[in-house]
Amino acid sequence: MIRLSRPPLIAVIAFLALPFLTACSGRTGAQASGPPDLNGVWSAPFTPDISKPLGHQPPFTPYAADLFKKEDEIDDPLTQCLPIGPARGIQAGLMPFQIVQTPAVTAVLFENQRTFRIINTDGRSHPSDPDPSWFGDSIGHWEGDTLVVDTVGLNDRTWLDTAGHQHSDQLHLVERFQKIDKDNLKWTVTFEDPKFYTEPWSVTLPVKRQNTEIMSYSCEENEKDRAHLRRTNTKK
Amino acid sequence: MRSTFFSALALASAFLFAAPVVAHHGFSVEFDGTKPVTLTGVVTRMEFMNPHIYFYVDVKDASGKVVNWAFEGSPPNILYRQGWRKDTVKPGDMVTVKGFRARDGAHLVACNTITFPDGRQLTLGAGNVKGYDKN
Repeated sequence: MIRLSRPPLIAVIAFLALPFLTACSGRTGAQASGPPDLNGVWSAPFTPDISKPLGHQPPFTPYAADLFKKEDEIDDPLTQCLPIGPARGIQAGLMPFQIVQTPAVTAVLFENQRTFRIINTDGRSHPSDPDPSWFGDSIGHWEGDTLVVDTVGLNDRTWLDTAGHQHSDQLHLVERFQKIDKDNLKWTVTFEDPKFYTEPWSVTLPVKRQNTEIMSYSCEENEKDRAHLRRTNTKK
Repeated sequence: MRSTFFSALALASAFLFAAPVVAHHGFSVEFDGTKPVTLTGVVTRMEFMNPHIYFYVDVKDASGKVVNWAFEGSPPNILYRQGWRKDTVKPGDMVTVKGFRARDGAHLVACNTITFPDGRQLTLGAGNVKGYDKN
């Protein structure tokens, strides 16, 4: 019979109890140490007009104000089945997104057009001269319970929402994915774009865990609408 | 079993009245909210595909001429989560469909509700202008 002295016995008991203690600790993350666990399928409220949660129109430059007044929904890149972009993808409502988190990389998989973002969390910096792209270059770091994501290198071809808030290739996004509890995140995005907005502005949306899986979606699979679209300018 | 399914779908439909229909284009650039239509006929084809489901219905006009109308709804992934399956509406079904006509005069309708002869009703939400938005 093996006899355990008291210190090893306590260590064994503590080891066996660790999963239970971790689960009951009230910690917002699933991991006993390290950053919170954001893995899962999530969705924020569909936000077709991002000025609504802001409470007013964003601080347009004269150039952007004029563009916003003239734009027509027929010109929305999404109508042309182009990628949704990093921040608008989070606001896609009934089309959820999945976060896949590893220590060095966090991926955001959008159901909308089955596009994805890569957020590098390995401590690297942005490239000095990134080639503008649909989802840009994203780097992230943890501040307590919050994944802070910094994105540059975006092209100017996505819209920020259905209402037609646009941006240039100087857009700089800072997002904060804060873990509230196992089923809730708080997402805050700050838009900085000197060509379109006179100062940075931020929007916060609740993000809820979804009991579903990411499903198929191809905008081009059976697209029949574009032939029927007509300019309306009914928005303004 | 069938009634259970339709109860679940009716529940989902009630939700749909309040939920935005998901599309990759705005309602007003394709459909006219001032032109509601109600059409009755036999389903000839169902395309349970992205970016919208389409189904087609042979409708007789007043002179007896048959016209094949197209009806558009949400993407299949959205509808699937709300209880729809690819054969929820199928060829041969007699249906009465309500919705809004396309601006360009095509025989195309943003579908709002589908009613079967026994009174069962499905709602796609499309054509519910305030709730119809792209995603």
